[in-house]
Amino acid sequence: MEQMRYEAPDTVDAAVALLVGAGGETRILAGGTDLLVQLRAEWIEPDLILDVKKIPELTEISKENGGFRIGAAVTGAELGEHLGVKKAWPGVVEAVELIGSVQIQSRATMGGNLCNASPAADSVPALIAAGATAAIAGPNGRREIPVEDVGTGPGRTCLAKGEIVTSIFLPSRPAHSGDAYLRFIPRTEMDIAVVGAGVSLTLDGGGKCSAARVALGAVAERALLVDAAARALIGTPVDDAALDNLAKAASAAARPIDDKRGTKEYRIKVSGVLARRAAQAALERARQS
Amino acid sequence: MSGLEREIAFTLNGKATVTAADPVRRLADVLRRDLGLTGTKIGCDAGDCGACTVLLDGAQVCACMTPVAQVAGREVVTVEGLAAGGKLSALQEAFHLHGAAQCGICTPGMLMAAASLLRRNEAPDEGEIRDALGGVLCRCTGYSKIVEAVMGVVSPGGNLLKDPGVGEAVGARVPKTDGLALLDGGAIFGADRAPEDALWLRAVRSPHASATFTLGPFDNLHAKWPGLVKVLTAADVTGNNGFGIYPDIKDQPVLAVGEVRFRGEAVVALVGDYGAVHGIRDEDVPIAYEPRVPVVGLDAALGAGARQLHQAYPGNILAHGLVKKGDAAAALAASDIVVEGAFETGFVEHAYIEPEAGWARRRGGRIEVASSTQSPYMDRDEVAQIIGIAPDAVRIIPTACGGGFGGKLDIAVQPLVALAAWVLDRPVRCTYTRIESMASTTKRHPSRIKARFGCTQDGLLTAHTFDGDFDTGAYVSWGLTVKDRVPVHSTGPYHVPAVLANARGVFTNAPPSGAFRGFGVPQASIAHEALMDGMAERIGMDPLEFRHKNVIRTGQATATGQVLEASCGLAACLDELRPHWRKARADSAAFNARANGAARRGAGIACCWYGCGNTSMSNPSTMHVGVAPDGAVTLYSGAQDIGQGTNTTMVQCVADALGIEMSGVGLVWGDTGLTADAGKSSASRQAYVSGNAAKRAGEDLRRQILRLANVGEDARIEFGSGRLIVRDGDAVREIGLSTLTPLRAGDVLVGEGTFDPPTSPLDGNGQGAPYATYGFAAQMAEVEVDMELGLVRVRRVVAAHDVGRAINPTQVEGQIQGGIAQGLGFALMEEFIPGRTENLHDYLIPTIGDMPEIEVILVEDPEPTGPWGAKGVGEHALIPTAPAIFGAIYAATGARMTRAPAMPDRVRAAILAAKEGAA
Ligand SMILES: Cc1cc2nc3c(=O)[nH]c(=O)nc-3n(C[C@H](O)[C@H](O)[C@H](O)COP(=O)(O)OP(=O)(O)OC[C@H]3O[C@@H](n4cnc5c(N)ncnc54)[C@H](O)[C@@H]3O)c2cc1C
Ligand code: FES
Ligand code: FES
Repeated sequence: MEQMRYEAPDTVDAAVALLVGAGGETRILAGGTDLLVQLRAEWIEPDLILDVKKIPELTEISKENGGFRIGAAVTGAELGEHLGVKKAWPGVVEAVELIGSVQIQSRATMGGNLCNASPAADSVPALIAAGATAAIAGPNGRREIPVEDVGTGPGRTCLAKGEIVTSIFLPSRPAHSGDAYLRFIPRTEMDIAVVGAGVSLTLDGGGKCSAARVALGAVAERALLVDAAARALIGTPVDDAALDNLAKAASAAARPIDDKRGTKEYRIKVSGVLARRAAQAALERARQS
Repeated sequence: MSGLEREIAFTLNGKATVTAADPVRRLADVLRRDLGLTGTKIGCDAGDCGACTVLLDGAQVCACMTPVAQVAGREVVTVEGLAAGGKLSALQEAFHLHGAAQCGICTPGMLMAAASLLRRNEAPDEGEIRDALGGVLCRCTGYSKIVEAVMGVVSPGGNLLKDPGVGEAVGARVPKTDGLALLDGGAIFGADRAPEDALWLRAVRSPHASATFTLGPFDNLHAKWPGLVKVLTAADVTGNNGFGIYPDIKDQPVLAVGEVRFRGEAVVALVGDYGAVHGIRDEDVPIAYEPRVPVVGLDAALGAGARQLHQAYPGNILAHGLVKKGDAAAALAASDIVVEGAFETGFVEHAYIEPEAGWARRRGGRIEVASSTQSPYMDRDEVAQIIGIAPDAVRIIPTACGGGFGGKLDIAVQPLVALAAWVLDRPVRCTYTRIESMASTTKRHPSRIKARFGCTQDGLLTAHTFDGDFDTGAYVSWGLTVKDRVPVHSTGPYHVPAVLANARGVFTNAPPSGAFRGFGVPQASIAHEALMDGMAERIGMDPLEFRHKNVIRTGQATATGQVLEASCGLAACLDELRPHWRKARADSAAFNARANGAARRGAGIACCWYGCGNTSMSNPSTMHVGVAPDGAVTLYSGAQDIGQGTNTTMVQCVADALGIEMSGVGLVWGDTGLTADAGKSSASRQAYVSGNAAKRAGEDLRRQILRLANVGEDARIEFGSGRLIVRDGDAVREIGLSTLTPLRAGDVLVGEGTFDPPTSPLDGNGQGAPYATYGFAAQMAEVEVDMELGLVRVRRVVAAHDVGRAINPTQVEGQIQGGIAQGLGFALMEEFIPGRTENLHDYLIPTIGDMPEIEVILVEDPEPTGPWGAKGVGEHALIPTAPAIFGAIYAATGARMTRAPAMPDRVRAAILAAKEGAA
């Protein structure tokens, strides 16, 4: 147990400066629900722990261009209480609310869920389906990238040294849009997704699907954006035939491994079933909005 | 303040608090080790169990997941802060009255989660309560009474417990005698206290399932870590470096000698200050392993040329158990109908929420060991032979036990801390981590079973054969008991004229399989109940009626030829279930007829029996009740309360036997220095065996008092200060106590009671009377299956149990509800895989959300040899659950699960296979 330095700056610039200045390994601490487990297991032994919970920019939810900018360190519990986000993006909120127990909800953040880069992270497929972007600050200034580009593999992100995710942006919603996230676990709660499926779609005046995005979690080294599944919906009334095609496309895109929670064949099958059910739920919401 | 420590100021239970700590340390650790608030428990240190739940600005958080820096300037409330001015809160009171705390290790977390909910919502409904408590795991209660308790705060009333009067304790729903300490953080568990100057100990365990190794030298380690006092190795064992539960088999080394046989086996133990012992990484300890290909699973162990784990056991076979009655082969051949099946189950982990913990202190030529245990006297004898001293030089002082279920019958920290304290002559403590607990302690035996039953066309059982192999892991542990218990019980609770049952224990390179609620019988019950369903289907009979026709009744002989003389209440249990069963079958048929989605429903039923007490062995219990010169009455009970409520049961028995109120009976429990041997808290024996001993002790004391006062049987006894008052009709006698001669523990009057259940040995064919009495049960489960995903949700369980007499109905219900939760886990989700499921997020146990509505029906067919007719229930509770669920899955889907757990992928595969078979 080597000793770690702990810092809790209150601006993004200070945070970036600390990260850039630090020798050795650094880790950002948000809710700590992944980080503390990893520290305890001694998978990681950083020299500097940088707590971002004191940075106002990271802990606020604000309106922007008809959408919402959500600070990377906003907790699941806080997001769940935000009626505006919940109304516009119910699928994203339900995905975040699936993370852990009530106890974990009071601490876990979307930024942490995204940057921990677990292939099974629940909020990520929902964010990808939503077309969300992540705002990143670093020594070379700020940039904004699609959420699907953040995670690159289990535990790996595209973030360079000194970079942090400051917020996640959820775009504005056209009329008749809906999103949904479903995950499959053997237990009723507090379990890691065997498969997760996020779907977001928009209907035109005639009830046909004019835009859709479909993402899968836990079936590859990172969450997948499945274009073929979205194409199966676009231009259709999202009827049984379209849903069957979507399910097929989702199963075809899944490339899971065998593990104790399910065989490979089974998880491929579940990918289709879950994508279909998520699309049905999203459709229901789109029709009602 | 050293190094990177900072001052952190926050409000703790209403008081301004400043503490210096490394900012990234966990709040749970700071509360417990620095601030002495050990009411906050650590069950996993990973966010999975919720035992560490505290309130942070009113919201529930896991204290083990909260860096202490993040509470600066905020308000923290722990369980110690719930009771205002020494008065329990309404929530704590409700937990007490509803029997919501069994072992109590999850209770602080549950209370804090519930308190957080009640702060936000004064009148939550059941759904909101379940949501709010979903992050706290309980392994004892099945959550039913916890939900009831929180509901009880909102609308008081219901099944409340009361203070019984004289002669009314037995049968009353009394709260736990020792229950208050479980509610305010006061109960001291294994990890909660140790002498101030205690050194810490941590075992370094093998990462390999099979390897040889060499050790040392340790000089560099000592040089780098001055806080390291000693590296304890096999060479330091002063007595016999071996333990095991049978007096003549001590095959498991305390510290391995040149060879390890399972992943998690202890190789050396580091002893020193906290920082050093926990700072040293396993890789830095000089242990050079030569890994070998491990023997994994029954096939590998039994295959030709398999490497032998132990010289003394050729073919890796530990032992073979046999029960043979009549000519089963001939009877099967003559049967109208024969059904057969093959079944498999995996390792199951006890997953008590309290990891093993304790401490030891040497006192000259004697040693004291305080730890969480189910069997103080067995621990005493084991520690004595390991150190090489006389048993009475060892004193075991049990701490509160945060769940056992069989897993704390084997020793864990005890020999390590005892040896270290003995060798160093300093107090030494040790707390297992969750991962260490799961990797290194015993499991339920995986099984592979082939069974057959025959019956007549009109549904009378004719014959049964059974072949079961049980993976006993790397060491014997309780393997012999399993190979005995299983063939005795493999018919199920039915009358079968001809039986041939074989069971073998088989060694593999896995953690030792030991005692776990039911000793192999739950595995066997999956087989016999599936086959009961199979026969009923073949002859077109209702599964309940088929069982009813065949249940063993008074006057009939078991597979071991034992004619049961009384207390066979299974037919009555089935009668109780019948209306529920008919309704459930009709409801699911109606649901399925309407269903157009993926959901299908079904109902299943299963029966069990289980012998109370150790198999064909003397297993006595002795109790003392004393009266002190000042008039205080004390029960000295060595029967270890592991949450099931034995302390309360014993006090109830003594109060009624002696003829005083329960509140007049004080209790000293567990300590081998103060209490007599009551045997283990296992084999569903304490209520029956120790209950009898307590009753006899109370009666003995009453007899002495009546004789002393020279009054009749119906006299009333009262204890005043320093005197005894006896009233017989109008006559009042007073006897001064202070002038009497002290006899035992300072008491001047002492009643003693002993009971040893009458059994007889099994002969070469397994014939005899292995148990004095059997408990019976029938359970019914309703499930809903998602046919596309293979996901099973249990909607409702109705459990009818013949317990002889419920000494405390609330506690009996608690046992049954908790057993059902473990049975549900066994059926649907629990499978321990060494190296892969050594924590509570990969090893899944049921959460509050997984538990169905449970209805418990108590049937009381009195056992003449039991106290007030009582017999056991602890293990019966879980045996029928898994087979009832499997029956329900079959009814819903047409797929018969033959392997536990029925994980969704297996259920889905079975559904597909059943469809193909039908096509
Ligand atoms: C009991 C339990 C149950 C859980 N259940 C679920 C579940 O159901 N579904 C699920 O998806 N996850 C689950 N998790 C995992 C975890 O809670 C989530 O991933 C959570 O969202 C992580 O958020 P955090 O704020 O706690 O992250 P932290 O632990 O603080 O950080 C996680 C990682 O992200 C990095 N990081 C954090 N914030 C930033 C940032 N702004 N910029 C750059 N890097 C950053 C950290 O350095 C770290 O590597 C569970 C965890 C526990 C302990
Ligand atoms: S100890 Fe904190 S959740 Fe288990
Ligand atoms: S009472 Fe809940 S774990 Fe024992």
